[in-house]
Amino acid sequence: MRDWKTLVRQRLGSFPVTPSRDADIVDELAQHVAQHHADLVSSGLDDADAMERALAPLADRERVIRDIARADRPRRAAPVPPPTRPGHLLADLVADARYAVRLLRKSPGFTATALLMLAAGLGVNTTIFSVVNAVLLRPLPYRDPSRLVMIGERGSNGAGNVGYTTFLDWRDRSHGFEDVGLIRSWSATIVPDGEPERVAGMRVSSNFFRLLGVRPALGRDFTPEDDTVAGWHVVVLSDSLWRRRFAADPAAIGRPISLNGLAFTIIAVLPPSFEPLLSQHFYQPADIWAPVGYDTSLPYACRSCEHLKAIGRVKSDVSMEATVRDIDGVQAQLRREHPADYGRSSTMTLVPFAEELTGSVKPALAVMMGAVGFVLLIACANVASLLLARMARREHDLALRTALGASRGRIVRQLLVENTILAAAGGAAGLAIAWWAVPLLPTLAPVAIARLSNAHVDAGVLAFSAAASMATAVVFGLLPSLRAARVDLQATLHGDSRRTSRNPTSAARRLLVGVDVALAVVLLAGAGLMIKSVGRLLEVDPGFNPSGVLSMQISFVGPAYTASEAVVAKTDQILAKLHELPGVQHVATASEIPLSGNGDCSTVHIQGRPSPSPADDPCPERYGVTPEYFSVMQVPLRSGRLFSDADTAASEPVLIVGQRTAAALWPRGDAIGQHVRVGDPDNGPWRKIIGIVGNVRHQELAAPPTMQMYTPQTQFTDSLLTVVIRTESDPSSLIADARRAIRSVASDVPVDNVAPVEDLVSRSVGPRRFVMRLLELFGAIALLMTAVGIYGVIAYSVAERTQEIGVRAALGATRGDIVRLVLGSGLTTVAIGLIAGIVLAAASTRYLEGSLYGVPATDASTFVIVAVVLFSVAVLAQLMPVIRATRVDPSSALRQE
Amino acid sequence: MSEERALLKGSAELLLLALLEERERHGYELAKLIDERSGGAITFHVASLYPLLYRLERRGLISGRWVEKPGVRRRRFYRLTAAGAKVLGARRKSWSEFFAALTRVAGLRHA
Repeated sequence: MRDWKTLVRQRLGSFPVTPSRDADIVDELAQHVAQHHADLVSSGLDDADAMERALAPLADRERVIRDIARADRPRRAAPVPPPTRPGHLLADLVADARYAVRLLRKSPGFTATALLMLAAGLGVNTTIFSVVNAVLLRPLPYRDPSRLVMIGERGSNGAGNVGYTTFLDWRDRSHGFEDVGLIRSWSATIVPDGEPERVAGMRVSSNFFRLLGVRPALGRDFTPEDDTVAGWHVVVLSDSLWRRRFAADPAAIGRPISLNGLAFTIIAVLPPSFEPLLSQHFYQPADIWAPVGYDTSLPYACRSCEHLKAIGRVKSDVSMEATVRDIDGVQAQLRREHPADYGRSSTMTLVPFAEELTGSVKPALAVMMGAVGFVLLIACANVASLLLARMARREHDLALRTALGASRGRIVRQLLVENTILAAAGGAAGLAIAWWAVPLLPTLAPVAIARLSNAHVDAGVLAFSAAASMATAVVFGLLPSLRAARVDLQATLHGDSRRTSRNPTSAARRLLVGVDVALAVVLLAGAGLMIKSVGRLLEVDPGFNPSGVLSMQISFVGPAYTASEAVVAKTDQILAKLHELPGVQHVATASEIPLSGNGDCSTVHIQGRPSPSPADDPCPERYGVTPEYFSVMQVPLRSGRLFSDADTAASEPVLIVGQRTAAALWPRGDAIGQHVRVGDPDNGPWRKIIGIVGNVRHQELAAPPTMQMYTPQTQFTDSLLTVVIRTESDPSSLIADARRAIRSVASDVPVDNVAPVEDLVSRSVGPRRFVMRLLELFGAIALLMTAVGIYGVIAYSVAERTQEIGVRAALGATRGDIVRLVLGSGLTTVAIGLIAGIVLAAASTRYLEGSLYGVPATDASTFVIVAVVLFSVAVLAQLMPVIRATRVDPSSALRQE
Repeated sequence: MSEERALLKGSAELLLLALLEERERHGYELAKLIDERSGGAITFHVASLYPLLYRLERRGLISGRWVEKPGVRRRRFYRLTAAGAKVLGARRKSWSEFFAALTRVAGLRHA
């Protein structure tokens, strides 16, 4: 029997419609020609003449194709491409855009998938960028902020603290600054009617607001007269405090206010736009400001009393370097003049405000930007792959258009317009995602990241989103466009490239799948390393037992508590009251508890061991505690004894040291019984070491234990205390009762920061957990996109190779052979991607090193798990197409040939 | 499109719809019937018939389906849809009026 379909196909090539429709049309035309031929033969014509007459109508190939394609049902017909009119570029672009939109609407599956990927990729990028923009890029809200600096000796954390007298010398002797000022932390307890409230505040030199370029919205700024020992009882309020406590009453200016039991006067309210960034860096955003009010006669104004921070504005005509050199010379001179007052020599440093405030979050944000960049690249690879598949189906259409006179440039331009529209739509959707997600970020962030709450979608973010979208269009459109420019006319119109198993489009799509896999490996490896780090951290023995302990801060301020005895007596009363609560086992106070803030240290001077430079003496952290503290926190006693009620202000001064302190200062193990002075080497009592307790991770779980020592609250009385309560039950169930108990005996003592100690522990891993959560999210998106990408490529290749698979099945290939054929080629691609990904991950996870704990950046087991997970997902993604391949019916597959 | 071609196309559609009114037919059968019944005056060949059929199908006037029977190659049969029947009725009426007018004016006589 004659193969009429082939005869028709030879004359016509393919129709610019879907492959299956194309096959149907050729089938129907072949039927017609065959029957016509049969009739002609039976009417007496010889075979050759009949052939010629039957096929004659198909001679005008282009017209036949055009007529039929135009007449065919619209969902199968390609929209008519706009004509080219030279010199009408803009009009052409508009026409191209309309055409592109019609084409995209015609394949909703493709369009939805591509848009979803682009929206996810661009959405996470826009979101993270809006954070970077707010935190790092947007200038600080002060006048000429780039010239504002922290001034101090170079320490582990940037510029160190300074003593008041030293600061005065810096101010008077340096030349590079327009102005310099001082700041220190402060908190004020407002005791109005009802519960006392502690408000975060700052003590600042009188020029502070002028230095920043900020003016009060109401009232007057501080004057030098305010900044004196006699005059400093004046305060400036934040807009929010003024609204909250004074109902935004302008008459509040000039009104007296009782703070810490002392009389102050309100002199000003700041504008609502003022951002108290420097105080946020200390503790929490300040709401109240008072002058420093020191003079050199005060005992805490000494050169070595380094508890103040110096700030300055560098002159606009002087360079940073010159200013540093100048102030460094001043400090070197001071060291020569007062050798006993300064510790180990150090150089001066100027830290720009922006760096001081956000320097610590920069690496994490860089990691995030990198991670979302990878997500976007994966999205690009997938969209490119989708476009290539679509291109293969459109090749006939494109070839036909080329044959009909469209230039290649014109066709590529059409494709570029399509890509741009796709990317722009994806970008708009991504922007919507960011607009929704950005306000959620500050609530998810574990620690106060300066300026994070200012993150929002603004002009900068819009510009970024637009630029990212366009760049994305170029990246994902590159391969398909190159491919389109190379469409082989003859092969496409005559031959049947779609049926061959190895066409270049497939190869390119496989490459893209490999890229997907490689990028996903990197993201998952990052997420895996973070998960492992957080796990390791939570396994760390902190040196105390946080479970079942409630903590709450109390402060004894004001005239009633100027004497230590008053504080001690009130503390005892509070502890006794708390003891009465049901379920309470032990109660204590501490000047600071683990994982709750800065561990202040005091130098120790050992009796009989004279020090060449007292300022360089060892500086263990000091914690003032009541006797039951070690029972509450379950810090183990290693030797000697713990504090008892017998250790009073009148009894022999005693001290307990941590193991590390004991080992560092008394390596021969004879710490107990030694005497030391804390702080001042020349004055004060010698304290006897009576016990050694276990080390505690005070700063953070990730840091090794520091040198620690403990003093009894009766002998070294602190007035800012944390109450810790060990209970048999859930500590948070005790909160209301504990507050009530404290108020019943001390109505003037504010209670703050009430939290189970376990919360402090989990909060301390918060920053890492935050990075982990985000990387998990990005990893999950990457995994999903990769799975979709693999599925798409394999499914398409199975559809493409239906005939080949049919032939193989007909020739006796078993199901196993076919599974191997399909799976094998897919998994090779995945495996290559995995290897490339592991190499890439090994090179890039080191940027995560700062956030890792107990895991090397190239942790082999993490990489293996990631590879196994990705491989499994790859196999799953191929399951459906493979099953479909084994169901190919040889006869129906072959009949189409 | 020239007047003549428009006329021709209009009449071709009328012919196809009318033939499908009787029963389902495949493409070649339609071409053959038109050829036979017009005594060779009107002929459709493969390149002119199918665009017409596809267009009619696209407009929902006819609908095609593949019929596969054992021993015979599958064929595509077309049948008249309800919409097609309506259009056929209207076309018949307007063509009748048209011919009546032509007869009166130009002295045509029905064949």
